[in-house]
Amino acid sequence: MTLSESMWALTWRRFRRSKLATASLVYIAVITLVAVLAPLLAGPGRAVVPYGPNAPDLVHRLAPPDARHHFGTDDLGRDVLARLIHGARVSLSVGFAATLISLIIGSVLGALAGYYGGAVDWVISRLIEIVLCFPFLFLVLGIVALFRPSFWTIMIALGLTSWTTEARYIRAEFLRIRDMEFAQAARASGARDLRIIFRHLLPNALAPVLVSASFGVASAILTESALSFLGLGVAVPTASWGSILSVAEQYIEYAWWLVLFPGLAIFTTVAAFNIIGDRFRDALDPRSD
Amino acid sequence: MRAYIVRRFLYAAITFFGITVATFVLVHAVPGDPVTFYLGKHGLNASRPALEAIRHEYHLDEPLPAQYLYWSRDALVLDFGRSTIDRRPVLDLIAEKLPNTFELNLIAFLLAVLIGLPVGLWSATRSGRPLERGSAVFFFLLYSLPAFWVALLLMQFFSVRHDILPLFGMSSDNAAALPGPRRLADHLMHLVLPVVTLAYAQTAIFARFTKSALTEVIRQDFITTARAKGAGEAIVLWRHALRNALIPLVTLLGLVIPSLISGSVIVETIFQWDGIGRLYFDSILARDYPTVLGLTVATAVVTLLASLVADVLYAIADPRIRLGGDAA
Repeated sequence: MTLSESMWALTWRRFRRSKLATASLVYIAVITLVAVLAPLLAGPGRAVVPYGPNAPDLVHRLAPPDARHHFGTDDLGRDVLARLIHGARVSLSVGFAATLISLIIGSVLGALAGYYGGAVDWVISRLIEIVLCFPFLFLVLGIVALFRPSFWTIMIALGLTSWTTEARYIRAEFLRIRDMEFAQAARASGARDLRIIFRHLLPNALAPVLVSASFGVASAILTESALSFLGLGVAVPTASWGSILSVAEQYIEYAWWLVLFPGLAIFTTVAAFNIIGDRFRDALDPRSD
Repeated sequence: MRAYIVRRFLYAAITFFGITVATFVLVHAVPGDPVTFYLGKHGLNASRPALEAIRHEYHLDEPLPAQYLYWSRDALVLDFGRSTIDRRPVLDLIAEKLPNTFELNLIAFLLAVLIGLPVGLWSATRSGRPLERGSAVFFFLLYSLPAFWVALLLMQFFSVRHDILPLFGMSSDNAAALPGPRRLADHLMHLVLPVVTLAYAQTAIFARFTKSALTEVIRQDFITTARAKGAGEAIVLWRHALRNALIPLVTLLGLVIPSLISGSVIVETIFQWDGIGRLYFDSILARDYPTVLGLTVATAVVTLLASLVADVLYAIADPRIRLGGDAA
């Protein structure tokens, strides 16, 4: 165990050398905190934004940013900053949950394929091939629209369609390590297959998958916001970053603040996850030292 | 070589079967009856016998496996049935809208390769220098931009604020009355924003992929050998490194089609471009199952064929694959 711990320590040290990556990590931590604390930050009587995400201010509809509404208001007079703060909850939870689902499916299938090889591998490889042939958005749109858009369907649709990368990474790692000495030792000591797979092999195969998980969160957030933008997101009036943009499309002639702020929120969050994944991959690469 | 290709075709056939079953099961797992949905949406009321007749026409009164057999028998000869929206054959709809999607994607793709490939090449030779590192971050940020947001920003800047380019559509309302060259110019103006929206992320992907493929090749022994023989850096790069780096690019081309089509859904919907992406979106909203099924299977099969071609090309280009045995 000490060996793998030192690997994580080494990776962490390499990772921190990148200022951009460290900044991205801090940014994600802040956004996550904002999402968790959203009801304390924006709501009636709160210090940061004194409006709830669904509180209409009918006198100030489509108002540009000013002292009252720092990021302006939408067509119903709802405060954009309040909606952004609450929207972070949707974006992040869908992003993390969908990635967790695809991580679980991908790890199990990839591990089975890599460990057993032969017929099991063959079937799982065909399954991956089939999923890869579909345009990703076709599947997601299909599942979400036909089974009714909701937080849960979006999460499940994203998880069910994006596990293939994880599965391929895990499979490749398993092929590499399944006959290494520690695996042979476990087998020789009489451990059952499932124990070898999940207790001994999987922890050692997880590093490259965590890289793809970081990219996965980025793409899940991107897709969720696209779905909300297209009107197939979480149910109205729940605030989400994409749904603010779909309102923006109708008032594109003058309401620039409706376009700018939610877009920036999506972009910076997605970029941060992508940068973390990229630098983490570099940090894992033994050739980078 | 022949054995390899035969095996690839066999796999493709199995994958095809899987694609049709998966699509069919997915669509039919949906709760609710498509016929009542359709009637409800159009405010129609059908008598019980009429309802039964419609169900019978679409084989909805038979068990699921039988429905699948009916549907796949027709799908094999590219008969996907009729759209429930306007009763036109799905194949006609696809054939009508596919060229528009193709036009948009081909131009965006060429643009992306034309910019991305040289940038990737440049990055690989300048790896680690400040300007290269800056450009790598830039392309990474570019890749992280949501397409629909970029589309909105472009529309706001070029169409609303400065009125240089049209907001959406494939041509102006009066285009049919314009003389040839003006009509072409009008169409080209409509192309600019959707093409840019499709192309920017692809450019970033190509630049990145070329760079990493090339860097991987440059590290290998035969490049050192070429240098040791006294070959100039340009020869090493162009003749030895790039040719080997392009091989993995070929396999990328097969897999890129689904993501292009995914991108088309968003871009075509925003810019009201009359292609298959928008057709799919509209069909999904209207629960037009024959069109949804037909489009999904058609695009999956095109992807399958493209990756088949890519794999065969790969085998021709790289003898290690065709002689090395199992590459699945």
